[in-house]
Amino acid sequence: MANLVLQHIEKIYDGNVKAVHDFNLDVKDGELIVFVGPSGCGKSTTLRMIAGLEDISSGKLFLDGKDITQFPAKDRDMAMVFQNYALYGHMTIYENMAFSLTLRNEDPNVIHKKVLAAADILNLTTQLNKKPGQLSGGQRQRVAMGRTIVRTPKVFLFDEPLSNLDAKLRGSTRREILLLHKRLKATMLYVTHDQTEALTLADRIVCMSMGHVQQVGTPLELYDHPANVFVASFIGLPPMNLFDVTVKGDHLEGKGGFRAPLDEKQQKTLKAYDGKEIILGVRPENLVEGKDIDVKVTSNENLGMNTLVHGHITDGNGTFDRITCKLRGWCNYKSGDIAKVSINRMHFFDKETTNSINGEEK
Amino acid sequence: MKQETDNQIAVDRMRYTKNKFSSNMAILAILFNVFYFVNIYKSDVSDYYYNILIGGSIVFNLLYLLLAFLASEEVKQYNEKYCYVLIAMGLVQFIRIFIIPMQAHSAVVTIAKVERQVMYTSQFMRCVIYLVLSGACCIAGGIVGVKLSRTLKAYQATLGEEKRRD
Repeated sequence: MANLVLQHIEKIYDGNVKAVHDFNLDVKDGELIVFVGPSGCGKSTTLRMIAGLEDISSGKLFLDGKDITQFPAKDRDMAMVFQNYALYGHMTIYENMAFSLTLRNEDPNVIHKKVLAAADILNLTTQLNKKPGQLSGGQRQRVAMGRTIVRTPKVFLFDEPLSNLDAKLRGSTRREILLLHKRLKATMLYVTHDQTEALTLADRIVCMSMGHVQQVGTPLELYDHPANVFVASFIGLPPMNLFDVTVKGDHLEGKGGFRAPLDEKQQKTLKAYDGKEIILGVRPENLVEGKDIDVKVTSNENLGMNTLVHGHITDGNGTFDRITCKLRGWCNYKSGDIAKVSINRMHFFDKETTNSINGEEK
Repeated sequence: MKQETDNQIAVDRMRYTKNKFSSNMAILAILFNVFYFVNIYKSDVSDYYYNILIGGSIVFNLLYLLLAFLASEEVKQYNEKYCYVLIAMGLVQFIRIFIIPMQAHSAVVTIAKVERQVMYTSQFMRCVIYLVLSGACCIAGGIVGVKLSRTLKAYQATLGEEKRRD
């Protein structure tokens, strides 16, 4: 069992610089939580506070109901995997993996069994006599993970473990982490700025910005029901298109003759905003070839199954908001062509608070 | 039964761990040899020491240090040949007792018309102790190394492995 609870956690650095604001989270046993957000949003700081590598300025941290806020890192029963692997170059892989247990004066035979078991899980058995310098980046990261597995900690912490790997290796190592999680059924906290990692790995995602938690939810919740404009634009690739529009009863009106009809449910949702400006969010994949919006194409990127069409909304005379459409199939628009698209799903956000206006589905 | 299993694990562990005991013994032998030559060269170097013997001993000490260090690295990797080298080096240390320390202890020189021993008993005893310790470390490291190397080799043969390290 490893239930981790963060209550009103804050981090304030010298000079009253607040890096993390009122962080609350209840991590259930066996859950894989991913902290995602842009650089400097406080996700690594939060992880380091959980690990005990940074002091918690205020708030409480509980592990299985026990207050561990003031515990030193070594007594927290957590193991961390770092971005730069942090392996000892002069030691073999076996020695690297056994090191933490050796320091704890565990029986060498027990250590041996644990290291071999971890190496087997991570497919490192044939590499055990090598030095880290002889391994590839992905293998080194597996060694770093192996070092945490042998300790059988209550919580695994990953601080951007894939950032040093190339795209192909990142994909395969990501799948390995997922398999590892399924196999160990351990509680894991994972920090990344890569939304693909977050969406593919997480049981739940904590989306952060400027030290604040923006939204906590399953990947689908964050994708389908973003709590605010930040989450909407951060989750999803390419990012969501955002337009300033005015609610006009049964439709929305924007710049360049932009006009999107609203159904009854949407009209009801936006009743309080009639005549006011709101932010309309449309994911590129929710734009299909149609007739409602004219897009003056600036570039056409064929991805095989889909085509990304970048351009500006146009009324025939001028160009207005930028728009990106992810159209199905292979398209061959040239720069300056007019592509006609329709929206099949919309998200609405309050212009002042940038929070989602509930009941946005079409 | 459990003891047997533990032994099996201990042998399997050798595939991934170094022979630190033998290696450390070789390093210790180097250390004692250093103490030895620090002691022997602080003798009053009068006529007795100005012969080829002392020059040879300096060269031998340097070679001994180099070879002992090389052996310490090799026995760490369960190299059986170097275990024998280590044993031979240990025996040589015992033989050395009968060369410089013993001869110098029994030799007498005349300095300023005064007869005196080249090496007094206290210095002689220290030199002997250091050589004995150095030799013992080499032999102990070598014997343990041979035993472990053979055990590992036999175990690897059952696994079909020929070479321990990549």
